Amino acid sequence: MKIHYITAIGALIVVAVHIMMRLVMPYSLSLEYENVIANYHNIPYLILLESILVLIAIHGFNGLRVILLELRQSKAWEDGVTILTIAAMMGVVAYGTRTIIIANGLGFE
Amino acid sequence: MESLEDRNNREGIRGWLDPSRYGWERVSYWLQRLTGVGLLAYFVGHIYETSSLTQGPDAWAAMLELTQTPMGHLILMLVIGMSTFHSVNGIRLIFTHGGKGLGRPGRPDYPYDAVSLNYRQKSGIWIALILAAVAMLYGASVLFGGE
Repeated sequence: MKIHYITAIGALIVVAVHIMMRLVMPYSLSLEYENVIANYHNIPYLILLESILVLIAIHGFNGLRVILLELRQSKAWEDGVTILTIAAMMGVVAYGTRTIIIANGLGFE
Repeated sequence: MESLEDRNNREGIRGWLDPSRYGWERVSYWLQRLTGVGLLAYFVGHIYETSSLTQGPDAWAAMLELTQTPMGHLILMLVIGMSTFHSVNGIRLIFTHGGKGLGRPGRPDYPYDAVSLNYRQKSGIWIALILAAVAMLYGASVLFGGE
């Protein structure tokens, strides 16, 4: 459970900063395309977004794995659940990282 | 004699959701899991929603039209409540797992109430629920505040 608790505490901190970034200006204004893209041009914020992505993906899919292992126990089930949750976690991280990289390269025009 | 293989003691999701035999902490147990699964679903949806940025301003505006609606705001309020409960109750569980707030072990006397489920643990569950409600109200004021 150590990885679950470490990712939980890490995620709490970075998600709090992520939410505060939505509240530094009126909520609807913070969602305007130019403002969101400007966030993706800010390197420290970019690192924060990638941290959120990795920490929550690990925490969330490990939590799902634990729930599924509680429901049923057998070698095949446990191996299958572990492989599937790790694959899903890697897929989500890869897809989210793709968005971060592309959005960072986008201009303002 | 019944062999180990004959015992069908798998209760599956029904057993997981049944709070009747385990008391108040069981409610916290399945709320923690339900909110966890709900937040994971939101997280995957949020990653997909944000990816529309890469297709330009029109795709982003179309996605906002879909999500920035009263229904979208209600879902976000639910997410705020779920994440607050999951976080506060999760912190309680980290302390409990470390042996903090469990009290001293005692002799099991009738009516065999679990010593570990003391007022500190029960208060922790209530605090998580109350803070979740407060966070949802604050979220509602921001989302429906009209700014």
